[in-house]
Amino acid sequence: MYIPPLNFAPIINSSNDLIYRSGFPMPLNYPFISETLHLKTIIYIGEKTETDLPIEYKNFIKREKIQFYYIPMETTMDPNAQQNMENMLKLILDKRNYPILMHSNKGKHRIGVAAGIIRKILQGWCISGIYQEYSIFTGNLKGEVDLEFITGFMPTNVKVDKRYLPEFVKL
Amino acid sequence: MTTNDNSVSSINIEKGYEEDEDNYVLDEEVEDNTNKYTNNNNIYININGKNNSNDANNILCKNTVVPPLNFCPVERYLYRSGQPSPVNFPFLDTLNLKTIIWLSNEDPQDALLDFCELSRIELQFAAISPEGGEDDNPWDGLTEHSIINALETIVQKKNYPLLVCCGMGRHRTGTVIGCLRRIMKWNLASCSEEYRRFTGSRGGRILVELLIEAFNTDLVEINENEAPDWLLNAINGGKDKA
Repeated sequence: MYIPPLNFAPIINSSNDLIYRSGFPMPLNYPFISETLHLKTIIYIGEKTETDLPIEYKNFIKREKIQFYYIPMETTMDPNAQQNMENMLKLILDKRNYPILMHSNKGKHRIGVAAGIIRKILQGWCISGIYQEYSIFTGNLKGEVDLEFITGFMPTNVKVDKRYLPEFVKL
Repeated sequence: MTTNDNSVSSINIEKGYEEDEDNYVLDEEVEDNTNKYTNNNNIYININGKNNSNDANNILCKNTVVPPLNFCPVERYLYRSGQPSPVNFPFLDTLNLKTIIWLSNEDPQDALLDFCELSRIELQFAAISPEGGEDDNPWDGLTEHSIINALETIVQKKNYPLLVCCGMGRHRTGTVIGCLRRIMKWNLASCSEEYRRFTGSRGGRILVELLIEAFNTDLVEINENEAPDWLLNAINGGKDKA
């Protein structure tokens, strides 16, 4: 029996390069993650610092030989939110990091913003489609600040190596 | 361009526990990238920088597409949504669909029928029950027969990329995806949680959750040679990994 993490879903599934989203993985989710996702990278967007991470989670990441990136961000009102999301894009735009799981604590708001930015910048989704996807995972809680952030977000300087672009990104 | 002042090395991502050497070969990798970035493989995504919009290397997506109501990825090349309307057709084109499973006893809009014909997408009517006749209401749950019908298409990789949809992409689609998750050995609470996400402000229907719970997963025959990898992987508990 598998127990996926809270709010688990794929974000990108239209090629061999897969990105998943979820809430914070708990020990009861580890078998699901290790046996079915075969991750190369985990990106955590959240306020928990390295020392706050549960020891069993650190051990799990180590055991599974997963690359772990930590993007410190509390809300989209953080002064460095723009830079954080650009860093997220840089990781996403490198094929060598796939498959990727991005998670926050509940898999709702911060991941909703990250997913919204991928939809907008790399896939060209209309804003209403992005809003709808955001609300599927937040249970219709409106996150107006987040939605405004996605709407206004434009990368200022994200540099990537085109040899390593993931398949779903079309030039 | 110098190697030390560019954005890659200044990438502000804090990596956890750098003392774990086997995990953190990343430092070297970042250095590597830095060097690679000095050659001509660079592309930029920016709006106000040196590269303007007529640069072919700009990967900012310029065509706006509109996903259908309640659209969401489910598994590799498997999607779910509400009924696509003409405004969504350019979006559907990007998915290169081979099959659409339509889970309603009413015909979809003519525009969708035409679109499927034009794009050579096989439209499968999994829920039309001839025996239901006039009494088959849109708000009734799917029959076991319809669920099996849809799942038998889903467990064959020759039908992918595949979209499962119904009127709103809530209850009927949720039933089929929920039963698929049971086949994938998801525990019932997770199946229900996923179903409820898509049901909107009025919440989930008990009937749908009962259907998902009561569904006998043995009724769907899975041929190991024809099933998608992710499905086999879930069924075999990751033993395919090696």
